[in-house]
Amino acid sequence: MTMMTGKEYIESLRALNPEIYFFGKKVKSIVDEPMFQPHIHAAAMTYELAHDPEYEEIMTATSHLIGEKINRFTHVHQSIDDLVKKQRMMRLLGQKTGTCFQRCVGLDGLNGVYVTTYDIDQKYGTNYHKRFKEYLLEVQKNDWMPSGAMTDARGDRSLRPSEQKYPDAYLHIKERLEDGIIVSGVKAHITGAINSHEIITMPTRTMSKEDRDFALSFAIPADTKGVTYVFSRQTNDTRRLNGIIDAGNPKYGIVGGEALILFNDVFVPWERVFMAGEYDFTTELVEVFAGYHRSNYGGCKVGLADVVIGGSNWIAEAHGISKASHIVDKLTEMIALAETCWSCSLACSYEGYKTPSGAYHINPLLANVTKLNITRMVYEWMRVAQDIAGGKIITLPTEKDLENPDFGKMIEESFSGKEGYPPLDIIKMLRLIENMSVGAGLPESMHGAGSPAAQKIMIARRSGIDIKMELAKDIAGINQNKHFERIIGKDEKMHWDDVKKRIKEKTIQIY
Amino acid sequence: MLSIGLRYCGGCNPQIDRSRVVRDLKKALIKMDLRVDFITDKERTVDIILLINGCIHACLEEEYLSSGSNLQCISVKGEMVDSQYVEEDHILETLIKKIMGFYNRSGPYSS
Repeated sequence: MTMMTGKEYIESLRALNPEIYFFGKKVKSIVDEPMFQPHIHAAAMTYELAHDPEYEEIMTATSHLIGEKINRFTHVHQSIDDLVKKQRMMRLLGQKTGTCFQRCVGLDGLNGVYVTTYDIDQKYGTNYHKRFKEYLLEVQKNDWMPSGAMTDARGDRSLRPSEQKYPDAYLHIKERLEDGIIVSGVKAHITGAINSHEIITMPTRTMSKEDRDFALSFAIPADTKGVTYVFSRQTNDTRRLNGIIDAGNPKYGIVGGEALILFNDVFVPWERVFMAGEYDFTTELVEVFAGYHRSNYGGCKVGLADVVIGGSNWIAEAHGISKASHIVDKLTEMIALAETCWSCSLACSYEGYKTPSGAYHINPLLANVTKLNITRMVYEWMRVAQDIAGGKIITLPTEKDLENPDFGKMIEESFSGKEGYPPLDIIKMLRLIENMSVGAGLPESMHGAGSPAAQKIMIARRSGIDIKMELAKDIAGINQNKHFERIIGKDEKMHWDDVKKRIKEKTIQIY
Repeated sequence: MLSIGLRYCGGCNPQIDRSRVVRDLKKALIKMDLRVDFITDKERTVDIILLINGCIHACLEEEYLSSGSNLQCISVKGEMVDSQYVEEDHILETLIKKIMGFYNRSGPYSS
């Protein structure tokens, strides 16, 4: 079983020849393109840490298909312990990269499709699950990073996929052939797409009978003919072309390096098709995938919080204000917010369950609560980080001006802090806080894995509101409660009649 | 008489009304003229075990699986019975099918 190192992963990308466009030009080499490199480094960390004895306990797993050690990012969760370790892996990688390391989307795609294909086969007698297991084995053997392509471009959202003026607003089957299908459509903001070995597609929403051709899941190599990537812009993205410090996180970038994926009459052989028209399983696939993915955010974003909390404390020390009570209070607030999200992510894993396929899934209610908290709390702890760091995070001069022979030194010295904190280091840290708290990471926390409204729909659906109403009726005395009756030793009605009588008689003692 | 060892989870955040599931089951079995004794005492010998878990996490399964028991077990876990998804309203018929299957394979039971 191959388990690539970070460097081997980067080299493995050279064997691929995907068609990628950015700034109106075709990118010749993914690996050598400076705009892509930070994202590639972040993904490479998911490979590299699996080889470090200090981290392998959570970075690796045992394949349930062949019993061999694999990178956990290719594993289908076989226990509650696997779900918990997956969360620990997310936090660890957030800590080590300070950004999105991209590989969790494919992991969740593998698990979501695994669970759903089993259920489709149970109902329709199809053989999707067997096909998928064969594919999974390939992923594990080659230690591939597949991107998870769920979100479609979606066009006019008041219309169903089959009603769209431009059918390519949703990925769909154009033609069914004896040996496969021809697909067309656009998937939007796909994380890690340009530096993945494979693409796993999934439907983006519940489909109806009319949307049959849009109920679709398959996997293809990233450089399949007819697939084009258009790399997305991010806040301050081209700073990485101008120097090192201004980029803030020059090693790993900001968020995941998203891209549009255009499928233009792409052929997919049947052995790589895992759903083709079973519209009644689209809800399940979306919900299972989203459940896994939303749970992750309580891991990875908390890892980022660890970095920004550390950075904020360091800046407070460098500025000589770390002992000020308001700073201590703010840092404590950040920690409490982050650990609240961490608690949610652990809870949804510990409360997970075994699906009919044998794979384990997180608790969907708690996973959605986790992500809903992330859509708010990341903004809050980043707001506090900005507060502590001060206005310099948005007004610092450029790196090039710091190098000016006439006044560069003067600027640098004027930013000196406490003894032992070199001014250039202070500037680096401020740029990192700017990168993490001002950039694309915030809306990513809002919309990644689904927007808040999507989480609220799932939470409402699983709230058990009827049971809660019964609980309230018990307490309010609308319902009679057997345990209360046992405590008082009689029927509730009799008891309250008794109480009323004693109140009238002004006898306080009831028993 | 068929004896069913009835085990309830703690019911901290149930997705189903656990008491109703058992109540409806008892009523349905009486209607079918099937004599079944539901036993909650864990020390007593029973023919099969019925786990009533309020949610799909199924706390009771962990305990049951680690006990090493060879007894047949039916596990209700939220809107699932064993490894099958069922709506809450269909839990009853699924349970009856499973109990009848066991009864027909192993019966008759004397009182």
